[in-house]
Amino acid sequence: MAILVDKKSRVIVQGITGGAGSFHAKRMKTYGTNIVGGTSPGKGGSSVEGTPVFDTVEEAVKQTGADTSVVFLPAKFVMEAAIEAIRAGIKFIVVVPEHIPIHDMLKVRKEAVKYGATVLGGNTAGIITPGQANLGIMPDIAFTPGRVGTVSRSGSLTYYIADTLTSAGYGETTCVGLGGDPVLGSTFDEILWKFEQDDATKAIVMAGEIGGVYEERAQDVIKKMKKPVIVMIGGVFAPPGKRMGHAGAIVEGNMGTAESKLKILEEAGAHRAKTFLDIPRILKSLSI
Amino acid sequence: MRLYEYEAKDLFSKFKIPISAGKLADTPDETIRVALEAGLPRVLKSQVLTGGRGKAGGIKIVKSEAELREAAAALFKLSIKGYPVDKVLVDEVLNISQEYYLGVTIDRANYKLVVIACADGGVEIEETARTHPEKILKLSYDVDEDFHSFDAIKVAKFLGFSGDQIKAFTPIAIGLYNFFKKYDAKLAEINPLVRTAEGKLLAADARVSLDEDALFRHADLQSMGIEVRHEEGEMTPREKQAQEWEIPYLDLDGDIGMFPGGAGFGIMGNDFIQYYGGKPANFMDSGGGPTPERLAKMLILLDENPQVKAIFGARFGGISRCDDFAKGVVMFLKDHGLSKPMVMRFTGNMWREGMQIFEDAKKEDPKMFEKIEYHGIETPIEEIAKRAVALVKEVK
Repeated sequence: MAILVDKKSRVIVQGITGGAGSFHAKRMKTYGTNIVGGTSPGKGGSSVEGTPVFDTVEEAVKQTGADTSVVFLPAKFVMEAAIEAIRAGIKFIVVVPEHIPIHDMLKVRKEAVKYGATVLGGNTAGIITPGQANLGIMPDIAFTPGRVGTVSRSGSLTYYIADTLTSAGYGETTCVGLGGDPVLGSTFDEILWKFEQDDATKAIVMAGEIGGVYEERAQDVIKKMKKPVIVMIGGVFAPPGKRMGHAGAIVEGNMGTAESKLKILEEAGAHRAKTFLDIPRILKSLSI
Repeated sequence: MRLYEYEAKDLFSKFKIPISAGKLADTPDETIRVALEAGLPRVLKSQVLTGGRGKAGGIKIVKSEAELREAAAALFKLSIKGYPVDKVLVDEVLNISQEYYLGVTIDRANYKLVVIACADGGVEIEETARTHPEKILKLSYDVDEDFHSFDAIKVAKFLGFSGDQIKAFTPIAIGLYNFFKKYDAKLAEINPLVRTAEGKLLAADARVSLDEDALFRHADLQSMGIEVRHEEGEMTPREKQAQEWEIPYLDLDGDIGMFPGGAGFGIMGNDFIQYYGGKPANFMDSGGGPTPERLAKMLILLDENPQVKAIFGARFGGISRCDDFAKGVVMFLKDHGLSKPMVMRFTGNMWREGMQIFEDAKKEDPKMFEKIEYHGIETPIEEIAKRAVALVKEVK
């Protein structure tokens, strides 16, 4: 089992004729992802390395039965693309580009809630269910099928965590990148709850960082969960008031500091990992 | 992206929000001329992109020409939290009978726009929110929702307005909300919103932060002279250099140069170094798929920083491949040369190829690699962090 994406997912790439779109469509397909088509307005009827291209998502859905989309378009076109996909009936959308205008993401989120769709990103490395499907830009090498789920704001941390889980013999069910932008399509609590309901997932590693409020939002769901959650928060030693690359990663006063996030999540029952090597140690101590 | 008070007020007035009658000056002489023309008393307000101007002596009421001359000269010599004062708003002195707070911002956790109002204006609203939450009204809206006159009346009544004051307040609240939506703001505050002894309501100060990622649809801002700028805080010369090179970079006060891949590990790597007893000299993020030139520039920032004693490199080949990364490092070694010891690790996409590029370059010119220790997937990243900490001690 897996969450959000598996080998049956029927995936389209929005922006498939662009540089990033065509490059990653090929990579994803090589991994075994079930890429059934792509979109590029005005280029309908053509194909990119054997993948059919459509003018609209609606056409792509009708012709291919697509239910999942990965967006590779400039940030200013993302809102239109995501809403188009949602209204065409796509239930899961991965937004790889970064710097999506905040007001645009608020609109996308509203639309997604209305239609019961899930959006990841912006600024996400994507999502991978090892051995089944890889959506986005994650490097295959770090991942192995297994029994721990991961959810992270950062691509690089997702890789390091998977690398650690793989080396320790655990492997991963699904690895979810939430994204590094300030307003995200999905939140930790929503993804954690999906893992709670997935039989194959025995524990979850959650990696957050300074700034924003999405980590704190997870406290209620962690209290309700039966599965253990291991939490890492980057930026324990970050200087206040400074912005660290991710637009969301800024500390304002005591709001959103790594320590305040960790405290809230530990009180809710999460286990704190300081470094990657703590993750397998904690899993073993929990007899997983 | 923060706006100056005068810029924010200019924009507010386009949304029918009454503002105090101020004029901008950018030299002491200009300040004096403008103030005398408008007539004394005036209030001289330093225009800087940070809060706490009043406490720092950046706002002065001048009643006489002598006071004006002295204050104008003093303000332009002032630096507030690292921001040199180079513009002064020469504003009218208001006959204040009460100050209020009115703001619009984004509630990221709940995906809403929030209108915030408080009858105690002119103070730190965050502090009031903590100590007296009952004094604050918060109304939430979806991003595509309108703010109606009946919403404004609700706010007006909460603030204690009645009669004509409600009528005067309504367009201000609607104007602020419409401005917020139209210009993709992250924050728009009138603090204080002032009721004068004459019964007028107007914006005496304004604080606005716009979403820099949405500037492409606001070309009119550029024609007003409002251009993309750093959010807040003084930048060091190295940070300015990095910004020119479009590298996310921050100077920190330690001695280990951080040369990581993505922002996430950039942040976490700094923690690792501290867990093992070291202190990072910087934060940095290479971005996805950096070119060799970009990597070389990142290394220049570290190598030319006298504070850096050793460099910690970590690369997880994802969208950027380890072999490309290795090529960038070798290019730097050839063109610039490394003067500090560096320990680094390759893992992820093409890590063996990356190691091989180092091996080959080392065979060709062993001297070039004298200061570099490199590891592959078999060495945990924690060991690399420990080694970087140890290297600093060896240097000392």
